[in-house]
Amino acid sequence: MTAPLPVIVTPGLTLTPLGDPTAAACEGDFCAIPDHHTQAIINRKLDEDAV
Amino acid sequence: MTEPIKVDIWSDVQCPWCYIGKRKFESGAAQFGGDVEVEYHSFELAPDTPVDFDGTPVDYLAQRKGLPTAQVEQMIERVVGIAESVGLDYDYDHIHQTNTVISHELLHFAKSKGRQLEMKERLLKAYFINGEHVGRIPDLVEIAVELGFDRDEVTEALESHRFLPDVKADVALAREYGINGVPFFVIDGKYGVSGAQDAATFANVLSQVQAERETTP
Repeated sequence: MTAPLPVIVTPGLTLTPLGDPTAAACEGDFCAIPDHHTQAIINRKLDEDAV
Repeated sequence: MTEPIKVDIWSDVQCPWCYIGKRKFESGAAQFGGDVEVEYHSFELAPDTPVDFDGTPVDYLAQRKGLPTAQVEQMIERVVGIAESVGLDYDYDHIHQTNTVISHELLHFAKSKGRQLEMKERLLKAYFINGEHVGRIPDLVEIAVELGFDRDEVTEALESHRFLPDVKADVALAREYGINGVPFFVIDGKYGVSGAQDAATFANVLSQVQAERETTP
């Protein structure tokens, strides 16, 4: 079960987070690749007999 | 008649997840089926990048993050594979790593003409697929002219940097919202959705917001 998401509180504006907190995003000059994406690619390559 | 759901999207032109997230959001919005009004906002992931970075994106990441070249190449290969899964043919061999601030100014220029969405798609395609330079004024003017904008007007807008305050205002608003990464979606000014979510997630979020509107007096 996924833990409840924290509410983003800033001095000016408040947003209620929705969606998957592990979704891929770029921060600074780095764009992380979540593990589930890596696994999905491996699965696809297996399906295509590419591995 | 209900107002469309407003979705404000913070994004950078050289953010691979932003283009992938754009496709996934568009798919999710189509699944949702209701009226959605999208507005893009500027976010600079690496504002200190030189306009003409001397090297490839692999060089850039390897230098910046101190990662082995092989590891960076593997990361990029994965991103290219994910992009392919949503119909985007990223061409990292020909990408021009650059500073995107002027491309954001061009996006605001296009927004002032009511054509921001068209320009957003064109700039992402320019950077990730076409191998075009999105950091230099002459290259950006050519892209704008191709879309039918007036050459003199867009040249003046970019050379005078009269849309730079709008870019900086977007960045400041992102900071107020606590946005650290992109893509980031603010829905109805109340909900924050971070990252390139699955299309179904976007559809669910939009449906949830719509349902909430209908039950709130």
